[in-house]
Order: sequence, then structure tokens, then C-alpha cells
Amino acid sequence: MSANSWLATGNFHTTYQQEQKTFFTSLDRSVFSFFLLLLFVWPLLFPLSNKYMLVVDNILVAIVAVMGLNLVTGFAGLISIGHAAFVGIGAYTVASFCRTMGDSHIIVTHFWPVLIVISGLVGAGFGALVGLPALRLKHLYLAIATLSFQMIFQWVINFMSFFNQGQTIHVGRVFWLTGKVGRTDHYFFWYYIILVVVVLLGFGVRNLLKTRYGRCLVAVRDNDRAADAMGMNPGLTKVYAFALAGFFAGVAGALHAYLYRGVGFESFTLHESVSYLAMAIVGGLGTLNGSFWGPVAIKFLDLQVEHLAEIAGQYLPSSMNLATALKPFTFGLVIVLFLMFEPRGIANWWRIAKSYTKLWPFRY
Amino acid sequence: MKIKNILWLNAVLVLIVMFAVTAPVNAGGKVYKLGLSLAITGPTSDAGNPYAKGVEDYFKFANETKILGEDTIDCTIRDDQYKTDITKRNFEEYLDEGIVMYLNYSTGSTLGLKRDFEEEKIAVLPASYHAGNIDNSNYIFLPVASYSEQLVALSEYVVKNHKGGKAKVAMFIHPSAFGRGPVDDAKKAVAAGLNMEIIEVVEHGKDLDNSAMLKRLMSKDVQYVLCHTVQSPVATMLKDSSRLGLTAETYGEKGKLTFLGVHYTGGNDLIALAPDACEGYFWTCSFNLTSEKGEGTTKQLALAKLYGRDDKAANSHNYAAGIMVAQVTTETIKRVKAKGKKVTKENCYNELNAMNGANAYHPYTTMGPVTYSKTDRAGVDMLQIYSVQGGVFKKIGTPIQSEYMKKIK
Amino acid sequence: MSYFFQIVVSGIVVGSIYALAALGLVLVYKSSRVANFAHGQIIAAGAFITFFLTVNVGVPILFSFLASMIITFFLAMSVERIFLRRLIGEPIISVIMVTIGLASIIDGLIFITPFGTENFSFPHFLPQTPLSLGGVSISWTQLVGVIITFILIGAFSWFFKKSTIGISMRAVSDDQFGAMSVGISVPRVFGLAWATAGLSAAAAGCIIGNITGLNFETLQAFGIIVFPVVILGGLDSILGAVVAGIIMGLIQQFASGYLDGNFGLNGTGDVMPYIILLIILLFKPHGLFGVHEIERV
Repeated sequence: MSANSWLATGNFHTTYQQEQKTFFTSLDRSVFSFFLLLLFVWPLLFPLSNKYMLVVDNILVAIVAVMGLNLVTGFAGLISIGHAAFVGIGAYTVASFCRTMGDSHIIVTHFWPVLIVISGLVGAGFGALVGLPALRLKHLYLAIATLSFQMIFQWVINFMSFFNQGQTIHVGRVFWLTGKVGRTDHYFFWYYIILVVVVLLGFGVRNLLKTRYGRCLVAVRDNDRAADAMGMNPGLTKVYAFALAGFFAGVAGALHAYLYRGVGFESFTLHESVSYLAMAIVGGLGTLNGSFWGPVAIKFLDLQVEHLAEIAGQYLPSSMNLATALKPFTFGLVIVLFLMFEPRGIANWWRIAKSYTKLWPFRY
Repeated sequence: MKIKNILWLNAVLVLIVMFAVTAPVNAGGKVYKLGLSLAITGPTSDAGNPYAKGVEDYFKFANETKILGEDTIDCTIRDDQYKTDITKRNFEEYLDEGIVMYLNYSTGSTLGLKRDFEEEKIAVLPASYHAGNIDNSNYIFLPVASYSEQLVALSEYVVKNHKGGKAKVAMFIHPSAFGRGPVDDAKKAVAAGLNMEIIEVVEHGKDLDNSAMLKRLMSKDVQYVLCHTVQSPVATMLKDSSRLGLTAETYGEKGKLTFLGVHYTGGNDLIALAPDACEGYFWTCSFNLTSEKGEGTTKQLALAKLYGRDDKAANSHNYAAGIMVAQVTTETIKRVKAKGKKVTKENCYNELNAMNGANAYHPYTTMGPVTYSKTDRAGVDMLQIYSVQGGVFKKIGTPIQSEYMKKIK
Repeated sequence: MSYFFQIVVSGIVVGSIYALAALGLVLVYKSSRVANFAHGQIIAAGAFITFFLTVNVGVPILFSFLASMIITFFLAMSVERIFLRRLIGEPIISVIMVTIGLASIIDGLIFITPFGTENFSFPHFLPQTPLSLGGVSISWTQLVGVIITFILIGAFSWFFKKSTIGISMRAVSDDQFGAMSVGISVPRVFGLAWATAGLSAAAAGCIIGNITGLNFETLQAFGIIVFPVVILGGLDSILGAVVAGIIMGLIQQFASGYLDGNFGLNGTGDVMPYIILLIILLFKPHGLFGVHEIERV
């Protein structure tokens, strides 16, 4: 360890424990704590309108889902085109409780943290199940297996009257220590809840990657035969990567159900799966901070294009088509441009920016 | 690729992301805010696109001709790609902007946001006429009779004009709650004494060939097929039927199939998809069609011409539907103003509820007057049966109203 | 009994259209190992180009059919040149996502035109009276569709078996390095594979568009529907695509003919392919005719 605990000019680790630390310098830790504090405090200082609060909440939910997707696709290298279906399974777990017990039953409204965890576990169960083909399939074949899971999920939801045939199943308002969470502070309340979940799961992922289970994922991605030779069990690792992703997705789904106070199948279609993948890629596959960048970038891009289209629509009379066509067009363009010119995603810019400032004041 | 180029492109990407992250600026402009969220792209955009144009044009027209005097209506129209979560986002934004009434579109989002409408106490006019919308809801106003009512009215029409014995029908429906809902009501009507037998309920898929299904229906002596879905599958089925020579030349021809359908199965889109095969297809609709000239359709075409819409949009019944909801909302605001009240959510809601009896409103786009009350949640109760003759929809008889719908309620 | 035979005939008709739609996917995968998720959009674009040429420009339909095949041939080739060429050697996830992004871009482009939201149908150019034989009937449109399918598939098979370019494409699919070392330009082969895929997609689009009418949603859905077909047949086998297409068509027709309306089931024709797909993936992942390269871990 360098003498200065605030500025590290190089790698001075002398024990493995030091390398395992989450923050290498005190500066890192303080910056991070400050940033975290900021995340918790800003809504109090600058209250947003409901719409933007909803957008922010929605981004946080997407972050939870994308963290899961990043585990399975980024770290373990297993392509999943059915992630929205896992999110859907989480949401429909909550919905099943609402269907069987009524949407304002005490379990739904008071014990919602338990339900969120249960949804995660159900998601993990399905994840493991869908991960089973990964024992035999690779690459494209696996991608298509997850695609077919997505399709079967959609059909089942649309077919079964238990799931209201895909139409919205309402979820009641939840209670907090201060009583019922009303309409005015709904989004505000869920911002904090989801933020806490994101922080917890974010640390979870961060720490997971320092354990043998996390390193296992990366090893199997890079070369599963070598991993096998080193005594890991690639098959088990793959299934368990899917289960982990399923857990994250399930939690995201439950949060989605509570945030929107209803579950309808339109939120879990193939198109959503593709969006999650796009977020993971734009953010940066195989990085933790990429899971944060991606959803933020994609969701805000969507909003901005909407505004741009509206402005364009004012100047281009009766050419609504052009304005609305912008949305899918830019979405596709951003994915393609990133893959072509910055396949490592926004996380790579972050890395570059960090490495520029890391040795300050001693530049390269 | 040169490194310089890559750097440059990276800079562009950075700009895109920066652009994405900077907070958007809201355009100003107050007056009476309204909001419409609908699918202009994505599923059902063939209906949503002309609908949006209708709403946009009529509000423009209302502002330019000073229907509300010096006041104007500012209606934001947003594409939600038929996704409930985007609809919700749009709705929240409109609320932030202080809308007095809300125009919605899809069945899914109307049902999904029902509770929000209740809590916000805001009057909502959706483009989905799903009967489930108005269950447990005080604030949703269906512009016209519900799909259920239309399907039951069609069934009654079948029974009334069927010769000899029980009418045997099959239902051809969309594989979703949108399709299934009205079937239950039709079954209830049968239970309540409607003299017909529902032989089979077929949920279609993305079929390229319906021969097997049609033959099966024939073997079960089905004579009428009632459709409740969107145009494309109906078009495929009609083509197959006419190819197999199963389509009835005249209504209720023995040993043949007569096809009838509800709101979203017909219109010019159906004719565009199956120009010849749809000959003799029966369809219920509450709107005036431009193929039947009248005062209303002349106005509709004039409006489309004024704002440079193409023929396809101008003649679409979805364009008419868009105009209609815009008319109803404009009229509501006008009435609130006429009473000297402030235009608020609450007053608009009350005014809509009072739109009955002598106060009923006659938009030029519909078959009958718009009536709402505390108990009547469907605007236009009159339904016109149209039939394709010579490549256009022609009126059959006078507007009708469902009788059994009242019995099964 | 005629019910049964009608189902068989319909199944074969539908199946051969699936086969044609699947052909494009197989061609691309065979040479460049890319699964093209934008295939449905190319199918739709092909149909729209034909319609535009026929109705708005006034070209006879046969020529516009050929012209649209040629146009999509070059379109697909340039797509490969611009977007996919630089991704050669990148991980498979990138390649898949690029095609997904492409699909979105083409969506946007189609939404600019009226075709994105409006419905159209081709003018008639074939007799309207169906061919009937003992209670089993088939329309001219379907028959011509099937014939075109088989002509195209026959032509492609011949092309791969006999022509120099076809053989070089097979060589690339066998072993890229080997092919390079004998002087085959691998990128050019990739471009050609995309181009031929675009051509077959346009043909498929026209046939489907003639049967269902031109609705963007319906047409582009075929890009996803054909995935079970190609997996069943084996991702890299043309013969597989044909056989699997017809099997899938039959299964769908039989499912909706015998399962729907009984046992309280409905819409099984839509989900059946995916269930079969999962079973196939679990037990015979390389499909019926695909090359074995699956390993156990």
C-alpha cells in the first residue's frame, strides 16, 4: 500500500486482501459516498415532475434488469434474447398473489419487500430451467432457445385466464411506516426503494465478481474447456448464471409491477428483450458501470427523440410519419453505431476518463 | 479505418449521448391543455395514424375558426407504440401540464391506467370500445357503443334476418382479451334467449391459410362467422373463403358462410387488403363513412383537404373517430365556458355527464347523438350496419340499437 | 377425408412459403455464421418495392417482381458491406445485435413511407377461380407461390452444387482459412450471401403479400416465425429449410385444424413451432440436416 491513502500512483498491493478491497484509495471511497449521498438527496432539493420521476424510476428498474442481463450475457457470455420474459415472470409472480388474494391483501400491500424477494427467487427458478439448454447449446443456438422461451411466455400469458389474458392485473397501493403511499409521493417513494435495491444489488455484483463464483463466470465465458480443466464445472456455472440473471430480472419485474401498479403483458415482449440487450451493449457488456450507463442513455435518448420529433413535426406540416419514424430509426442507429465504433460501450469512455485523471497530477 | 476517423466517430457518439442526457426543455403555451397518447407506430398503427390526424386537424380547425372564442386548445399528441408503460409516462406528463380531459387509445393501457383515472378524477375518452373499460370505472367515457354491444347487435341482426330455425354461428376472434371479452357477452345474450347457437369460437394466429378452419366450420353447418379482431386476419380468411367458394353471395345463403364483423375488422383497410374477397361483408360502425355521402362526410373531407391529408386518411373511419373525440371534448369545454364556469377537470367531467336528453351532442361524424350520464358510459348508442357492395361500404337499413345488451347487464 | 387432405395441401403450401422465407436466413448463416434478425424487414421491403413499382410506377407485375428481387439483392449487399463487413471476427452477440439494430433502422425507414401504417393489396394478375380436385382446393396465388418457391430453391441448390461462386461459398462455409488460402475472397462471398438472401426475401415478401395483403406488422413477423423452421432443418442446410418448412407448415395446419376448438385450446398454431423448437434444441440441436458442431460441456 502506498503511503498516501488518498492518492495512489501505482499498484502497491502486498496481500490478496488488499486487492479484494472495493475502494483502492480513500479518495475513491469519499467520491463514491458523496455521489451516493447525492443520489439520495437530490430529489429532496430539486423535486421533479411526476413524469420525470417516473422516467427516473423506470431507468432504475431497467438498471436492475440490465445488471442481471449483464451477468449472463456480459460476464458469462451466454446470449439471452428472452430477458423481458424473466422480468415478466417476476411481475407476474406479484400479479399471481394479487389474483389469488385480491390486490389490496395485506401480503401485497404490507409485505411487499418479501414479495419482491419471492419474485426474484421465482425468476431465478425459471432462469435455471431455461438455462438448462445451455448445457448443450452455444452461441446462436442458445440465443434462439431463449427467444423461444420468450415466445412461449407471451403465449401462456395471453392464453391463461388466470393471468387475465395479458391484460392489466392491478396491484394495490403499498403501505410504509407512515401509512399508505398515496398518488402524490408514489414515484418519490419508489425512487428510494428502487435506489436501495440498485445499490444493494450493485454491491452484490461487485463483490460476486471477486469471489470464485464470479470469476468462474468470466473463465467459462473466455474458454470453457480451460475452465473445466481448472476444476470448474462449466455446465453448472452456465445454469447458475442464468439463475442469477433470472433473480435480478424477477426483482426488476416485481418493482415494475409495484411502480406501475399493474402488470400487463405489453411490458414484457420481445421488443423489450431487445431493448434490454441494447442497453447492456450501449452501456458496455461485461462491466458493472455499463449496466448503469446503458439504461440512462437509451431511455433518455428515447425521450429526446420524442421531443425532437415533436419540434420537427411543427415545422413539417402533416408529415407525422417522418416524426414518428425517428424513434425506431435512432434506436437502431445508436445500437449499430456503438457496435461498429465503440463495442465496449459507454463504460469504455468512463474507463478512459478515469485513467486520464487517475495519476493526476502525474500524467503519463 | 484510420484512428482519426474512429476518434471522430467516437466524438459523434459522445455527442449523441450528451444530447440524450441533457434535460429536455418543455415548450410553453398554456390555454386548455389536452393530451392524447396513441400508437402511431407499432401494432395497430394503421388505425392509430389516421386517428391522430383526425384529432390534430379538428383541434387546429377549432382554434382557427374560434369555436371557443379567443381561447384555444393545446392538445399534445404522443406516440406510445401500444406500450402501456409509455402511455403511463405520457399521461403523467399531461397531468403535470394540467390537462382537463385525456384522450387515450389502446384497450391495454385504458385498463392499465383505470385506477389512475379514478384517482385523478379526470374524464377519459379512449379509442378502445372494450366493454371492460367501464367496469368499476366512473371516469372512462366510451365514444361509441362497446365492442360487446356491437357484437351482440350483430348477433341480433343475424337472428332477425335468418330464415328457418336456429342460426348457427362461429366467432373468429383476436387471441387476446380484446377479442375474447365480447364473446362472453354474446354467450350471455344467447343464454338470455337470443335464438342462435355459437358452434365454435376460433382464435386466429398468424395464419397464411384458413382453408382447414373454414372447412371445419362448414362441416359443422355454420352459416355465419362473426369476426372481432383486426383487418389483416379477416382479409386472409375472406380470401380463403372466396377461393374455396364458401362465401355467401347474398345474406344468409344456405350452405355458404356469411361474414360479419365488429368495428376494427372493417373499413377501407379491409377493402385495401382484400378488394374482391370482402364483397358482401357486413360490418357495424357508429361513424359516417365517406362512401355514403352526407353532410357529415362532406365536412370531414373538407377538413382533411384543409390540412392537406391524403385520400386514404381522409376517407378512413379512424380519421372520423379522431375527429369525433376532438369534437366531443371541444364541445364539452365550450359548454363549461358557456355556463360561466372555470374549465377544470371536475367541470368537464360533470359537463360530460350532463350530455344527455336535450343536451345530447350531435357530432357530424357519427350515426347518432352522443349521450352520457352517470349510468350511460357509451356515447353513440346507434350502430349502422354496412355491407361491402361494389368495393365500398354501403348502408344496410337504418341505424340499430342492441336490445339484448340491456337484458344481460 | 377431404378435410384431412385439405389440411395436408394447405400445410404444404404454407410450409413451402416458410421454406422460401427461411432460405434467406440459411444462406446468410451458411456462409457467414450470422443470424439475421432483420430478415422480416427485408421481406417486407421486398413486398413494398414490388407494390410500389407495380401500382405507382406502372410496371407489369412480373417485371416489378424481378426488379424488386434485383433491388433487394443490391440493398442487402450494401447492408453487408456497410454494417457487417467490419464486424467480421467480432463476438456473436455483436453480430446479432447489429442485425437487430438494422431491423430497427429499416423499421424507421419504412415508417416514413405510407407502407408503415397503411394497408394495401396487390392488383390481381392471376385467375380468381381456385383449382379444385375432389374437395381439395388451392388458389392460383398459392400455387404460383409454391412453384416460385421450388424454382428458387432448385436454382439455389444448383448454384451451390455446380457454379464456381456457389462452390466458393460452400468452401467459405466449410473453412474460412482454407478458402482464403486457395484465393477465395471471403468478404466478397459474405456480400454475395447477403445479396442472395435479400433476393429470396423479396420473393418471399411478394408471395406472402399476395396472400395476406400488405400489412407491415404481418409481413415483418415472418422474420421471427421462420426461426423455428431453420432450427428444425438445421441452420446451414438448404434442404433442411425446405423439409423443415413443410413439416412446420403441416404441424401448424394440423394443430389449428385438430387441436383448436377442442380441449379448450386455441391459437395453438402460433405457439406449436416454438414448443417444437425447444424440444429440438434440447435433443437434436443441430436440427435434421445441420452440421454437427454442438458440444457438451
